Amino acid sequence: MQSVKTKLFGFLFPPSTDTWLAVLRVGLGLQVTIYSLSLRSDWISLLSGTARKVAEALLSLESHFVPRLGWFVASAAQLGIHEEAVLFLAWACLLAVGCGLVVGVASRFLAIAGWFLHLCAAKSGSFVSYGMDNFLTIGLFYLMLSPLPDRYSLDWRLRKSQPKNPQLLGFWRRVLQLHLCVVYFFSGLTKCLGSGWWDGSNVWRALIRPPFNVIDPEILVRWKYLFPVAGIFIFVLEFGYPVFIWNTRTRKIWLPSVCAMHVVIAVAMGMYLFSLVMIVLNLAAFGTGLFARTKQIRLQPETASA
Amino acid sequence: MRQKYAYLAWLTLHLLLIVLVSCRDTLRVVAEGPTILPVSFKNFSQKAETALSAALGRKLPASNSAREALATYVQVAGVEAGYGYFAPNVPGGYGLIFELHYPEGRVEYELPLVSSPAAALPIAGFLDSIGRTPHDALREILVKTLAQSVWREHPDVESVRAILGSIRLPTAREFTEGKRESYEFLYAYDFNLENAPAKRNHH
Repeated sequence: MQSVKTKLFGFLFPPSTDTWLAVLRVGLGLQVTIYSLSLRSDWISLLSGTARKVAEALLSLESHFVPRLGWFVASAAQLGIHEEAVLFLAWACLLAVGCGLVVGVASRFLAIAGWFLHLCAAKSGSFVSYGMDNFLTIGLFYLMLSPLPDRYSLDWRLRKSQPKNPQLLGFWRRVLQLHLCVVYFFSGLTKCLGSGWWDGSNVWRALIRPPFNVIDPEILVRWKYLFPVAGIFIFVLEFGYPVFIWNTRTRKIWLPSVCAMHVVIAVAMGMYLFSLVMIVLNLAAFGTGLFARTKQIRLQPETASA
Repeated sequence: MRQKYAYLAWLTLHLLLIVLVSCRDTLRVVAEGPTILPVSFKNFSQKAETALSAALGRKLPASNSAREALATYVQVAGVEAGYGYFAPNVPGGYGLIFELHYPEGRVEYELPLVSSPAAALPIAGFLDSIGRTPHDALREILVKTLAQSVWREHPDVESVRAILGSIRLPTAREFTEGKRESYEFLYAYDFNLENAPAKRNHH
């Protein structure tokens, strides 16, 4: 029993450096920045008016406590501030948060602010949010709970912060790793339940379906014999992720393959933001130190004995 | 050590929620079909999905505080939905076109307006929400939202007809035979005045 407990704690609290956290912070900072910039001209039209009110009303049927832009709009209205001004301010704050996270200034505060603002936008715009928003919420949720700042941040240099508990750093990395395993396992499982992924027709449909039809179908159809291979390859890659990502040798194949799959999704389907967040999460969880020489991690005296 | 136990307890609950939500959504996929599994799995999946929904507090009254606490947590952690993207099969999607009628009898056609390519994905998601909702009133409100934005761009329009269709994608073989994507008419809404309820026609 004792050995099981020791093994469990050893697995869940492995000593880790904060490099993965730096990757997560910079990556999500970039993601938030690009997300904000890409929607700058449509932000207000997507999140204002009746659609936002309906989305928030439906959200209230679930819970009254989930953050939403309507809270700010209602408060500002009492001060005579128009909805559009509030939405623009939220957008500007989100952009500033993204830039701040990239350089690592006030990391903890900005991680919380980023999670909160993005959550407000994603929930108030639930009719226009998609998978990318889900993964951005997940990433920002873990980022704000992780032991920030990391040593590559501006905070570290300015405040001369002390190293964080390596086991706590390892724990939060483990949480992200386990979550990604569940994500890919279920994504692969549900895909392999559809006959279209076995015969490749789903690959074809995914690539020609508006608005993902970036590549001319006339070009795509020449490669139709590869679709069944691609379909099976995709769900095997996802379904096998929780098994093959843990071993260092197989991870050297699996991780680049998964990242390559997301690059192809970005290029062939125009889902740049979705692919970027997935690559960031994968690199933070399993990427750091993969191809570097194994280094000994110096533990703090109190954590080394724990 | 006590701190580690607290982290362990949180992680157990957190992962349990993620797995429960993912299992529920996977079972829903099987129950709704079609999948490669035998039809006999449908009944079991329906029952199992109901049981998992109950475990997630979905059968409790909406005012129940445990249900609301759980719903709040899964929403703020971003784990309220499963991960079956484009699965088990890729749906065809929906299209919406606006027929703009001018006072002098001229008719123009317009697609939902976006300023940037990045907004095309959210708009596609919006159209899917419109197409999939089983609630007529909600569908009408959502279509009206898009119609209003078109109206703002064309203030001299007398009436707007919004036509919603589902997209039928050709197979690769059909495509080589010359068949292209087609739209199946689902609903049409006529908007005359901004605040007047729409007159709905459906297939």
